[in-house]
Amino acid sequence: MKTVSVGTLESSDCLVTIKPHESLEIEIDTVVHDAFYEHISDLVRKTLKEHGITKAYVIVQDKGALDYAIKARLTTAIKRMRDDNG
Amino acid sequence: MISKSLETLLDFVKPSDGMACSFHHHFRNGDNVLNMVMEALMDRDLTNLELYPSGIFPVHTSLIRALKENRIRNLTTNYISGPFADALNTYGLTGELTMQTHGGRARAIIEGENAIDVAFIAVSACDEKGNATGLEGDNVCGSLGYAIEDAIHAKKTILITDTIQTTITNPQIRSKWVDGILHVPSIGDPRGIVSGTLSITKDPLGLKIARDTIRFLDESGMIEKDVSFQSGAGGISLAITKMFTETLEEKGLSASFFTGGITKHHVNALEKGLVKDLYDVQCFDLDAIRSLRENPRHHFMSASDYANPNNDHRKIKDLSIVILGAAEVDLDFNVNVTTDSSGTIIGGSGGHSDTAEDAALSIIVSPLLKGRMPLIKDRVTSITTPGQSVDVIITERGIAINPKRHDLLERFKNTTLPLMSIESLQKKAHALSGVPKHSPAKGRVIGHIESRHGQKGDALYRKEG
Amino acid sequence: MARSYLFIPGNVPRMLQNMDVYEADVIIIDWEDAIAPGEKDEARILSETFLKKHAPDVEIYIRINAEPSLYEADLAHIPLNHVKGVVYPKSDTASLSKLLKVLPDSLDIIALIETPGAFFDIKTIAAMERISALFLGAEDLCSELGATRDPSGDAILFARSTLIMAAKAYGKDAVDTPWADLDANNLQKDAARAKNLGFDAKSAIHPNQVPLINRLFSPGAEQIKDAKRIIAMHERKGTMRFSLDGKMVDKPIIQRAYKLLEKARRYGLDGGDSVD
Repeated sequence: MKTVSVGTLESSDCLVTIKPHESLEIEIDTVVHDAFYEHISDLVRKTLKEHGITKAYVIVQDKGALDYAIKARLTTAIKRMRDDNG
Repeated sequence: MISKSLETLLDFVKPSDGMACSFHHHFRNGDNVLNMVMEALMDRDLTNLELYPSGIFPVHTSLIRALKENRIRNLTTNYISGPFADALNTYGLTGELTMQTHGGRARAIIEGENAIDVAFIAVSACDEKGNATGLEGDNVCGSLGYAIEDAIHAKKTILITDTIQTTITNPQIRSKWVDGILHVPSIGDPRGIVSGTLSITKDPLGLKIARDTIRFLDESGMIEKDVSFQSGAGGISLAITKMFTETLEEKGLSASFFTGGITKHHVNALEKGLVKDLYDVQCFDLDAIRSLRENPRHHFMSASDYANPNNDHRKIKDLSIVILGAAEVDLDFNVNVTTDSSGTIIGGSGGHSDTAEDAALSIIVSPLLKGRMPLIKDRVTSITTPGQSVDVIITERGIAINPKRHDLLERFKNTTLPLMSIESLQKKAHALSGVPKHSPAKGRVIGHIESRHGQKGDALYRKEG
Repeated sequence: MARSYLFIPGNVPRMLQNMDVYEADVIIIDWEDAIAPGEKDEARILSETFLKKHAPDVEIYIRINAEPSLYEADLAHIPLNHVKGVVYPKSDTASLSKLLKVLPDSLDIIALIETPGAFFDIKTIAAMERISALFLGAEDLCSELGATRDPSGDAILFARSTLIMAAKAYGKDAVDTPWADLDANNLQKDAARAKNLGFDAKSAIHPNQVPLINRLFSPGAEQIKDAKRIIAMHERKGTMRFSLDGKMVDKPIIQRAYKLLEKARRYGLDGGDSVD
């Protein structure tokens, strides 16, 4: 299984990296840590759950992306990971 | 006395522990003088210094050394940019930080609250008697407006220059105020002197804010004969200055005066006859310097003549319109340009709260979202300019008029501009960003913001951990 | 009816989330040229998620990819409640007929005319029911022709006039090609030329081009005044043929006056109902 990265490190975007892992690990590095860290963390967990992901290593490098962008990047990453693994 | 040796000059000044020194920031990030003097004072092992730099820039690394070595007791300034703010956080002060306004600093010097022992004043040229200017010499900065009260009221005034000439035309600083002259090889780096935030924004959101601001001014009925105007040197402000003068041209009008920091856009307006006079406390670029030197309608003014609230002849008393920026605003129209939302110092009033209070119409222009952070808080992290002085907030997604301005609300009843309450504007931002978690700045109090009238305002904190 | 069409890349959050403040009458989210082959899925999902969540208050089209294998995936990601139609690249009769078989009913098509061949099909294309506008794509056309564009527009004069002729013959909007650099003087020349030839609107590739285009393609104050007088006279006389200021007014002029006034009202340029 491969590592998949989606998005960019431009302002208002985020780079989401997902790779197979034996448990669910989430790393979030965000420029709006004080104001939105917990919010982003909840959003990432919720989105993973919607897609039935219970095990993966997920890294979100956030440059001030709004929820829709974080969700879209993560969704694309999950789809690509699944497509890659047939 | 004139000397080429800083040591000789310091012997003359007889510096001591607890001495109060002032500096000005006209050489901005190209200034060598503050560092030169501070290093020498520290090498003499002086402590408990009282410092009054009118502004602190990234180049001023000697101040970081002074914090590290615990040599500063109180620090009073109008503006801090760059790593010094982080150093303040790390090392603290034994005394207090006071963030004044440009007008408030002038007032406090004149009235004796800022009691300065020695004013170290960098000038681009002077004569042997001590008549000085920022307009001649190798390292010109233009107006020396923020240094004038220091020169007049300090116990000792020392000029520091790299150019001594036989005569100075129209000196900004008079020899009778001057006690000594230090002649050094170089006072600064021209590349850092006229630099910074000087190009008109190309950002589509910034330009939209500028266009809507011009429409707002037009519909307010204030773009009329003899209007007066001030705006800063930020990208959006510059776009507004340019569009404002274009509007004057289209309407066949001329303004009476522009005040504040002057740029080539102000100068263009003067040269086209679109404004009668420029009153210049600070030159932001070489065109401004050239114009101040050559054009009799481009006038030098001191910080007190600019913005001192107790000076009845201050220019901004007659100002019609001022355009200002914001790091944060809140539901009461308070504006913060001093700290970021975590409490770290990122600037300071400068002339912000002076002009907001005095101008007939004060407009704040800013993007509604900065990255993901909404501009409008329930309460700003620290109040630089009280909402009482702020009339309108203009963003790319809407315009809010301060409810105390009944007259404006009435006038804009039928406008097609996107007018809304500040609460609605905040909701619009939150619909995009989500509601940020409010984590108020806390820690040990390191100082205060001071109003232009000298009242103690919001506390500034040294963050813990 | 629109004056300006602004392309924004479908994979840039900063631009997507500000699409409604760029002042363009129509936003075209680009999933074609602006998106690298390996990033099509990113752009589709990002745009779709944005539109569903934030429903921006602006008319939106999506420039889909020309190849059926790609546009089928594109169509699956278009949120129909938020999108008015698609901009279809390299249009010709055959490819459009194929697209129409799979295009959801609610979407109309703006046909990008950007190949020499399309100009031989243009009458058929303009006549297609679900085509709402013809859109000139001069960059691709010029590279196929080996022509060089400049602000005079000489190289594309025939293409522009042919497209306008076909669009107007079938009551469709004619939308001009973007000007590719950010020099405002060049844009001004290029856009003024297009406006004089009869284009209803012009496209932009940067938000900073939009205000100039809107200004240029808005009905002017004099035009609005004339249109109001023509309509007032028409309504008073109840006839389709009369003389005003010594000039004959007949049906096409009256219709044009109505259309102009509708556009003026839509963009808030109508200064009220007074006729003097």
